[in-house]
Formats: sequence, C-alpha cells, structure tokens
Amino acid sequence: MSFAERMLKIDRRIIFVVIALCTLLPLLYPVGLPIKISQEVRGVYDHIESLPERSVILLSLDFDPASKPELYPQAVAILRHAFKKNLRVVAMTLWVSGTGMADELLTKVANESGKQRGADYVFLGWSPGGTAVIINMGQDLYNAFPSDYGSKPTKGQPVLEGVNSLKDVTYAVSLGAGNPGVEAWYVFGKDKYKFELGGGCTGVMAPGLYPLLRSGQINGLIGGLRGAAEYESLIGQKGRAVAGMDAQSATHVAIIVLVALCNMFYFTLRRQARQQGSQS
Amino acid sequence: MDATIIGAWVATGLTLFIFSFLYKDNPLFKLAENLYVGVSVGYTIVKTYDTVIVHLIWKPIVENQEWTLLIPVAIGLLMLTRYVPKAAWLSRYAFAFIVGVGAGLAIPRTVSSFILKQIEDTIRPLLMLVPGEGVTFSWNLMNPASSVNVIIVLIGVSSVLFYFFFSVEHKGPGKMVARTGVMFLMIAFGAAFGYTVMARMSLLIGRLTDLIEYSDPSYGRPTLWLALVTIGTLIALSLRSRSEPPEEG
Amino acid sequence: MIFLRRQMPLLITMITGLIFAGQYYVPHPASEQLLTSATKWLQIIGGFALVLGVTSLFQVHAAKIRRKEAGWGYSMVLYAGMLGTMAVGWWANGKESVEGVSTAFGWVYNFMMVPLQGTMFAILAFFIASAAYRSFRARSREAAVLLIAAVIVMMGRVPLGEYLVPISGDISQWILNVLNASVRRAILIGVSLGAVALSFKIIFGVERSYLGGGKE
Repeated sequence: MSFAERMLKIDRRIIFVVIALCTLLPLLYPVGLPIKISQEVRGVYDHIESLPERSVILLSLDFDPASKPELYPQAVAILRHAFKKNLRVVAMTLWVSGTGMADELLTKVANESGKQRGADYVFLGWSPGGTAVIINMGQDLYNAFPSDYGSKPTKGQPVLEGVNSLKDVTYAVSLGAGNPGVEAWYVFGKDKYKFELGGGCTGVMAPGLYPLLRSGQINGLIGGLRGAAEYESLIGQKGRAVAGMDAQSATHVAIIVLVALCNMFYFTLRRQARQQGSQS
Repeated sequence: MDATIIGAWVATGLTLFIFSFLYKDNPLFKLAENLYVGVSVGYTIVKTYDTVIVHLIWKPIVENQEWTLLIPVAIGLLMLTRYVPKAAWLSRYAFAFIVGVGAGLAIPRTVSSFILKQIEDTIRPLLMLVPGEGVTFSWNLMNPASSVNVIIVLIGVSSVLFYFFFSVEHKGPGKMVARTGVMFLMIAFGAAFGYTVMARMSLLIGRLTDLIEYSDPSYGRPTLWLALVTIGTLIALSLRSRSEPPEEG
Repeated sequence: MIFLRRQMPLLITMITGLIFAGQYYVPHPASEQLLTSATKWLQIIGGFALVLGVTSLFQVHAAKIRRKEAGWGYSMVLYAGMLGTMAVGWWANGKESVEGVSTAFGWVYNFMMVPLQGTMFAILAFFIASAAYRSFRARSREAAVLLIAAVIVMMGRVPLGEYLVPISGDISQWILNVLNASVRRAILIGVSLGAVALSFKIIFGVERSYLGGGKE
C-alpha cells in the first residue's frame, strides 16, 4: 500500500482529534480577529435601531437545544438591543423543547437590563399547532395565547397595550432552526398581516433564505454563529458568539486543509494508476 | 451542595458520555442516548398537558364557558382511536379535518408567498433610472440589486428550472441551458456545504464552551474528573471485551 | 358503513380544504371568524397529535422490556427518564421557572435535556470533517466547481479566512446573494408548485395516503 493510499485510509479518530484540538485551543487561547459586518445582519440591526421607543417587537424563538450554540447568542444580542432601545418585547416559541431555554434567556437578559415582566416584556410560552398559531395570532393574539408562560391572563398586561393581533406588531423576528420558522412566519404571518419581518437561523438553513432576502420578504438575516457574532459586534456587547469565532476560523481552515490533502492524495493515486496502466 | 453544581456535574457527565461515541459505540453512550429520548418525551408530555389540557381546554371551558372547544377535543380524541384496532377508522375523521384545513390554508398562501413573489422579484427591470444620470446599467457585482446581478439571477433561475423540467429532452441548445443549470446547482450545493460545516462546528464550539466553563474550580472541576472517569470506563470496557471469548455462531 | 369509513373522510377533506382555500379571498367578518375558530381548533388538535406521536415509543420499549430483548435495560433507562421528568414536571405545574427561580423541572431541562440534545448534534461536527476528508474529491468538473465554491464560502465566512484572503468575504457574499439565491429560488418555486399540486390532489381525493391503513 502506497503512502497516499495509507493516508486516505487513516483512522477517522485521528481526524476527530484534529477537529477537537482546532476547536478547543482557540477557545482556551483566543486571538480576537476583527469581524466584518454583512448587509444581511445590518438589515435587522438598522431596523431595530430605527424603531421609536415603546414600539412592539415580537421575538419568536423557534429553536430547541440542538441549535442552542447558534441561535441562543442571536436571541441574547437582539434582546439586549431591544431592551436598550426601550422597546416592548413579546416573546414566544413554536418549538416545545425550546420553551425552557426561551424563558431562561428572556429572564436573564431582562434582569440584566432592569426590565419588568408584564410591563416591558411578556413571554407567551409555547403553543402547539405551528403555523395555525401564527394565523390565530394574526386574527386575535388573546385567542391564541389566553395566558402567558406564568399563567397570567395576557389581556390587560401593560406591555400588550394597543396590541390585539399581529397587525399591531411593529417588527417581528423569527429565530428559526427549521419548520416552523422564518418561512412560516412569512407565509402564514406577514403575507396577510403586513408587519415587517426579520430572520435569524442556523447555518444549515441560511442559504435557503436568501431568495426571501433578495425579494425583500425579510428585511435582514442573521445566519448562524457568525451572524450572532456580527450582531454582538454591532451592539458593542461581545459574548459567546464573538468568543467562538476564533474556533470557527480554526475548524474551517482545518477542514479546508483536510479537503486539500484528500484531493492531493487522490490525484497522486490517480496519476500512479495511469502510469501503471500505460506501462502494462 | 448547590443545585447548579450538581447540575454542572450531571450535564458534564452526560456530555462526555455522548462524546464517548466518537471512540466507539459503548454502554455509556447508549445510556445517555436512551436517557435523552426518555427525558425529551417526558418533557413534551408535561408541556403538552400544561399548555393544551390546562390552558387551552380546561380553563377556557370552566372559567369562560367556551363550550365550542369541545369540538376540537372530540376531534383530538378521535385521533387517539388509532390505538383501538376496531375503532381505528374513526381516526380518519380527525386526519381528514387536519389535512383538509392544512391544505386549504396552504394553497393560496404558498402561491402568493413563494411562487408569485419570487417570480416577481426574478423579472426585474434590467435598466435603472438614476436621477441626474438617466437610464443606467449597473455593473457592480457586489451590489445584489445591480443590473448585472439581476441578469445572472434570471439566468440561474431559468436554467435550474429547465434542468428539472424533464418533459423536454436536454439536447441541442437545451443541453447547454441544462448544463448551465447544473453549474449553478453545484455552486449552490458548495455554498450549502460550507454553511453546513459552519453550523456543525458552531454546535461543537457551544458544547466545548460549556465543558470549559465546567472545568472551573467553583464547580469542583467536573470536566476533568468526569473525563478521567469516562476514559477509565472505556478502557475497562475495552479490556473486558478483549478477555471475553467471542460468541459462537 | 363503507361510506362512513371511506367516502366520509374524503368528503370532510374536500369541504374543509375548499372552504379554507377560498377563505383567503373573502375578508368578510364571518369568514375571518371562521378562520379564527379553525386555527384555535388546530392548536388544540395539534396537542393531541403530539401525544399520538410520542406514545408509539411507549409500546416499542414496553414490548422490549416485557420480552427481555437485548438492550432491555436501556429501555428501562428510557422509561425512568420519561417517568422521572413527568413526575417533576407535574410537581412544578409544567413550569421550568417561577418568577425567575428555576424549578426541579427546569433543572432537569437545563442540566439533562439541553446538554444531551446539544451534544447529540454536536458530534456531527466530527463526522462531517471525516466525511469531507474521505469523499470530497474533485472527480469531475462539476465536483470541482462544488468544491471550489465550498472552500470560498468556508474561507469567506470566518475572520481568519477574510484576514488571509481579504477578497474571499466579498466573493462568498456574492455567491450567496446571487448564485445561491437564484438556485434556491428556482428550487423554492418548483417545490411550492409541487406542494400546491399535492394539496389539490389531497382536496380532490386523489392522494389518500394520509388516511392510513386500518380496517375498511
């Protein structure tokens, strides 16, 4: 067996170790390379920045713990921005297994910003039905969510003053890890109830949302951990996403090197096979 | 002991048990895997009970006398007849309602949002009227709305749609269009792969960030101790499987 | 009886499908009220559907334990995890926190479910790296184009890549905003046309697989 053949058949656990080290070392010894802000992320940031005080922003945290590393930092950054701008925040989730996480992050960011539940923000919790919940909220928010996460009636809460349905929401942002997520919020929400919509999503989903971005159906897109890092940089509060960018860089370079090596060995083998073929 | 510290030890242990799969499939991983399924199912049942039974059914009916809500309850119960073989056909009524309403709701909204709006944005004017400059053709590739990019998008959408249109044989000029579509597809798949790598690595970064946090002395360094325990267990299991005679048959 | 078992469900699908497709174009208060009620009903029915989905797991693992099949001990772990979570969940009235203070249910969620689910997906990072090394080869012109696009995007979306090759950021933005967007748009239009066609087939009773098997 030639060297190239041996290298192409190396134990995959060696690759695992390489990836683990490329992730771990930059997390332990960060470099802090600058992060360039994209137009997609700036779209969401600029829109929130332009909203007058006490406007209503709806944040739908449509993800579960599987996507926590990507979407949790996005949610924290947007919430910090919204609270800093003194907006009224209506949060909810369409994913049952994301409920606890949504409640935890909302409470955490609200406490650090000195915001009151019921007056400055409300967590509606989760409701089954996916897209039906969006339509029902568009028809009558109190019908879809008669009580909030803490079992308090939603009607009469100061944070929801003047809000009867999605038509009264100034800006909605869905942070989605799949379906229902950003697309569902457009199709079953914005299409009929005409509120402005922004999106955040996992890296896997991001390329699929660019057609909606181009057509203006969403006015901004925060894609994956990189998007979260950009948003953290924009609001000037660097957190877990910015801290993870060095590790992200290192792993990407590691994968590119692995792919380059794999192709180098592959072409070496192909050349050897051709030479042997021409000799015989 | 503080609940957070115990939690840190449990979370670290379970994380390492799942990572142990990278060495090979083993009882620690299977234990964590089954616990994960059990906890997830238990969590879903509790949340569904609290949200649906308590807040969407019981309270509105008892407190506000919304008796019409008994209709969806009946439909929901019909769904559960699936577990009674003799009455299983009744569940069809529930599925018929859900699928019928779902299909009805989806048709106009999908046509409006994904077909008409997307086609509308694809067929944009190729020339722009700039005040003071008159009619212009913008060559700036970095501006997604520039004229040249509008043409590229039009070519991309048309050629990819043509590639997936199998009612016409792909030969002659059609072959060239289909090949252009394939090239566009390959570039998009490449971008998707790049983003998938980015997403997967982000998830790993998230878990390792937690493990680093839990290696702090304030938690009692669970990451270090439990990593040793996990590695020790894997070695012990490996030695035991080597000493056991292979099963016959 | 055959009518009740076979034709009636198809009739329900057709009537509800046509009503709610038409409802979109009728902004009359009565029509809007119908939409409000139906979507509220779907929320409640959705809860039952979730229960139906997860309970099939009970049967599979209960049978494993009863017959003492290989790995039945793990099924016991699954049951213990499920029943334990349900017990603490009901004890905490289904709330992970009360007034910002975590409950026992919240503890199970934060320190068991979150790390378990998170890590389950995080290990995919290792497998995608291994798969890239083993199979990402420029065997043909098309594969080479795919590979180059992937490398540019991987470089352009991280700070180190933009630092080493400054233009990679702009190129990857252009790939995503223009080339990728056009392909995704074509796929979106195609898939949507397919979904609409399937919805019509369901409404008119051509597609019936959703009704499932069972006795006639």
